[in-house]
Amino acid sequence: MAGLTSLGMTLVACSTPAAPQAPAAEQGSESAAPAAEKILLRVQGNATNEQPLADLFMERNGQVEIEYINVTGIDHEEVASKILSMVAAGQTLDIGFAATEATQLYAGQGLAEPLDEYVKRDEAELAEYFADVHPSLIEAMMWEGSLYELSRDFNAANMYYNTELFAEAGYDHPASDWTVEDFLEIARAITKKNASGETEVFGYAWTNRLWGSWMPWIFVNESNLLTEERAPGGEWLWQTFYKDDPAAEGRGGGFRWLAPKANDPANVEALELMQELTREGTAPAIELGGGQTLQGFFTSGKLGMTPAGGFWAGGLHNAGMPKGAFDVQLFPKWKSQRHQFGTGGKFMFTGSEHKDIAWEFQKLEVSKEGMAVNGIFNPVILTTPSRRSMVNAEAFAETGPEHWEVFYSTLDDHPDTAPIPAPPISNAMTNIFTKYTGLAMTFELTAQQALDQMQAELEELYARQGQNMYKLEG
Amino acid sequence: MAHMQNASQISKQPGTGGGPLAWLTANTLTGMRRRKAAMGYLFLLPTVLGILIFTAGPVLVSFGLSFFQWNVFTAPQLVGAENYQRLITDKQVLTSFLNTFRFVAMAVTTQIVLALILALAVTQKMGRFFRYYFRSAFFLPLLMSSAAVSISLGYMFHREFGVVNYYLTLIGLPRVPWLNSSTWALITVMIAYVWHQLGFTFILFIGGLTNISPEILDAADVDGATGLRRIWHIILPMLSPTLLFAIVVSVIGALQVFEQPYIMTRGGPGDASRTAVMVMYEAAFKNLEFGYGSAITVILFIVIMLVTMAQFWLSRRWVFYQ
Amino acid sequence: MRYRLGYWIGLILLLLFSFVVLAPFAWVVATSLRTPAESFSVPPQWIPIHPDFSNYQQVFERIPFWKQIFNSFVVSGSIVLGQLTTAALAGYAFAHLNFPGKNVLFWLIMATMMIPIQATIIPVYILMSRYLDLADTLQSLIFPALPTAFGTFLLRQYFLTIPRDYEEAAMIDGANPFQVFYRIYLPLVSGGLAVLAVLSFNGHWNEFFRPLIFLVSKEKFTIPLGLFDLQGYMMTGSISVVLAGIVLSMIPVLLVYLVGQRYLIEGIMMGGLKG
Repeated sequence: MAGLTSLGMTLVACSTPAAPQAPAAEQGSESAAPAAEKILLRVQGNATNEQPLADLFMERNGQVEIEYINVTGIDHEEVASKILSMVAAGQTLDIGFAATEATQLYAGQGLAEPLDEYVKRDEAELAEYFADVHPSLIEAMMWEGSLYELSRDFNAANMYYNTELFAEAGYDHPASDWTVEDFLEIARAITKKNASGETEVFGYAWTNRLWGSWMPWIFVNESNLLTEERAPGGEWLWQTFYKDDPAAEGRGGGFRWLAPKANDPANVEALELMQELTREGTAPAIELGGGQTLQGFFTSGKLGMTPAGGFWAGGLHNAGMPKGAFDVQLFPKWKSQRHQFGTGGKFMFTGSEHKDIAWEFQKLEVSKEGMAVNGIFNPVILTTPSRRSMVNAEAFAETGPEHWEVFYSTLDDHPDTAPIPAPPISNAMTNIFTKYTGLAMTFELTAQQALDQMQAELEELYARQGQNMYKLEG
Repeated sequence: MAHMQNASQISKQPGTGGGPLAWLTANTLTGMRRRKAAMGYLFLLPTVLGILIFTAGPVLVSFGLSFFQWNVFTAPQLVGAENYQRLITDKQVLTSFLNTFRFVAMAVTTQIVLALILALAVTQKMGRFFRYYFRSAFFLPLLMSSAAVSISLGYMFHREFGVVNYYLTLIGLPRVPWLNSSTWALITVMIAYVWHQLGFTFILFIGGLTNISPEILDAADVDGATGLRRIWHIILPMLSPTLLFAIVVSVIGALQVFEQPYIMTRGGPGDASRTAVMVMYEAAFKNLEFGYGSAITVILFIVIMLVTMAQFWLSRRWVFYQ
Repeated sequence: MRYRLGYWIGLILLLLFSFVVLAPFAWVVATSLRTPAESFSVPPQWIPIHPDFSNYQQVFERIPFWKQIFNSFVVSGSIVLGQLTTAALAGYAFAHLNFPGKNVLFWLIMATMMIPIQATIIPVYILMSRYLDLADTLQSLIFPALPTAFGTFLLRQYFLTIPRDYEEAAMIDGANPFQVFYRIYLPLVSGGLAVLAVLSFNGHWNEFFRPLIFLVSKEKFTIPLGLFDLQGYMMTGSISVVLAGIVLSMIPVLLVYLVGQRYLIEGIMMGGLKG
């Protein structure tokens, strides 16, 4: 037991943030080490895609060796869990990757280093980056007033559709302000059933997870799973980089997701709509996880519409779906057209001994140059770049969709668009969310019952683990 | 061989009338017996040492952890039996354990009965080609990893586009919600599990059956025992040690089922196919409640232990050693 | 005549059942040869008419396939050799040697067979990476798997089927206890050794949970982890590529089995009283 206690102590000791040192000069203190003594930087990432970026960095920083740590998992929360186990076992990592699902998890646990001092230090250098990235994406990377990641890529849940099925049913590209009624009409028109009443082509489908899922319907119905509020702070960032951007008005120090409100009437209404679609055969039984199966249905012409982001373009292309066979539009309007998104980027571990080098790497990764060589954007787009300038005709020339502008206009036209709710206890929360969603979609519970039970269990979770997630007054 | 000389030296040491090596020189043991005893300990050394370091030690650490609250980042806090108190009232844990028992009952019965029928059928007189073909065919699924099995069969059992339902609709049956209903989910997971594991039990039984000496079978033939009577009165008793082994190992394996439900259904719908190891994994590795996860492990361990002991105790009544 | 009829009915039923068992393989292979866009087209084609090998090409492009196969061989092979050694010794001790505390020890070891791997993974991982400095090495997978309660139990069962007369006969001929074990008993349980070798190789070849936590760099991955990797960034890989990977990863095990099967079956035949 002593071993465990000391392990805990070590971890706590590791997590005291260190102030950044003065910027290292071109030939700084780090490179004073003999050439044989290379500094090893351990970075969570997938070498298959990201190696060119590491090569570029090592070319410029001869004293550094970059090793990619490839952590795989069924979904974001799974990957986060693996990383936490690694840290618990004393593995040293310098840079991690987190999407919205795990951003506050790392920040709230004191595992990720706040970047505020670094950003202030390199203000001049970073001005160009922030000018190119929508404030929504930056705000989503904050927790309690501090910034933890530089957003690299993001995906909002837009509506992908099969152009052939649309054409067959006599529909054209929907208007950007199409409504839920328009959506239902098209979805039902596309649906084809066989003689025995079994659906063969579905109008709409979705997967049971946190991002995507039926969360987009919760958002356009002007609701959320948890009560949202903005943490105070963050002025240092908004005042510096987004002074003249109206989209940055009213932003704070990151989202706080507090009291659960799963059984809000708007949520019940959204879930009942989902049940209706499945009951009538317009939508199939829900899928699990990451959506590979949906991609298979979509490419085989068995599925009309599904919520997805820029990450689908490259996937569909790789699966052999020709350009023009699919397109994308904003999610339809219900009470509002507020979208949900997730964004990913690299963060620095508080336990890293090479924070200054890690910071240089983080900056390179989100620089124009760094993103241009990264395999997740090249040769085909595997996710939407956070830089507005990179979401351009050329990027989607080979893969489609034709209306690629939708990806960024989601943020521009709907600045209230926000990240999926993912507090520091998002893993346990996601388990509860998917569990009751599943029960409602197999009709074992009514939408009201499922959400009442979800609410009860979320409240229990918050009572047990929800203290200390945010620095609340009183 | 050096070990052996050591062993004999040890055994020649004069007794000290007490101490840890007293048994070696006790008068009740002859020299040869003592040498064999020493050899026994030596032979067990690698296994015992390895298990102490890699299994027993870590489990004790886990057991200790179950009295703590530990989320990896802060020092573990001693909370006494709090985790166990919470566990008793945790509906999800209870459901998962009940699911696991249902799963074990279904999976083990199916696996043992099927494997036994197949092994008996294949060991009867038939052409060499067929014998070889059947052996290979039933063993083949074992060559896949459980992850691969779960992924592949998950696609095949898909409600709308799976091959299985495609053929069901061809013969005019409705689509079965294999993975999308509380009634079916655990059964489908069980089918995938048994399909994967069947070959193991099958090969064990083949081994057991071929080890039955022909003299005994010939004697049975002379006595006129044929067909089912021959199986029941001659073959099964001779096979009973193998049968016991197969059942024990299958039960232990099935109690720890994880990959299939995790990949195929994520434990859903609701908790319908969540298993004991799954709740433990989720508590520890997803919700970072290592103390609580350890407590679930301890309970699971005790359950497995009791079930296995019961099996051995019952086996005295039906297992027959030559 | 009645016997012949029963034989044919049995054979036909066996054949039908074997088709059911083999069907998923046919489906996996067939689907891995379809373009991803057609992966879900109905009706299922069991015979790929226009096989498309691009999925296989993608497997080799996306992961260092041969390196990962090699890693899997190193891990599985080492574990098998180690387990055969430790389990043969321990199994024999429990079957044919008498010493104080034998039953207690046996039950304690059997009890460890019931410990789910998830229960030990964190402490073992901490031990490996903190105290033995073996993080992200193949050794970290090999060492903890060397002692085997299952193998000990399996070989004990095999040793138990051999009557004690052998031992007494050998003793009269002047063999020492170790020679009795090594020269007489061990060859008699070669069937059990083969069974353990094949099962253990196969089990560790397909192992997923431990490598997932112990290995982090791509060059160290074993093949099941590599397959997982095929799902691509944001899970946008297509199922056809994943299935192609599954087919490829089965080939080496299949070869081992084809070579090993002879020994497996022969060993089983040789075992017991016909030695």
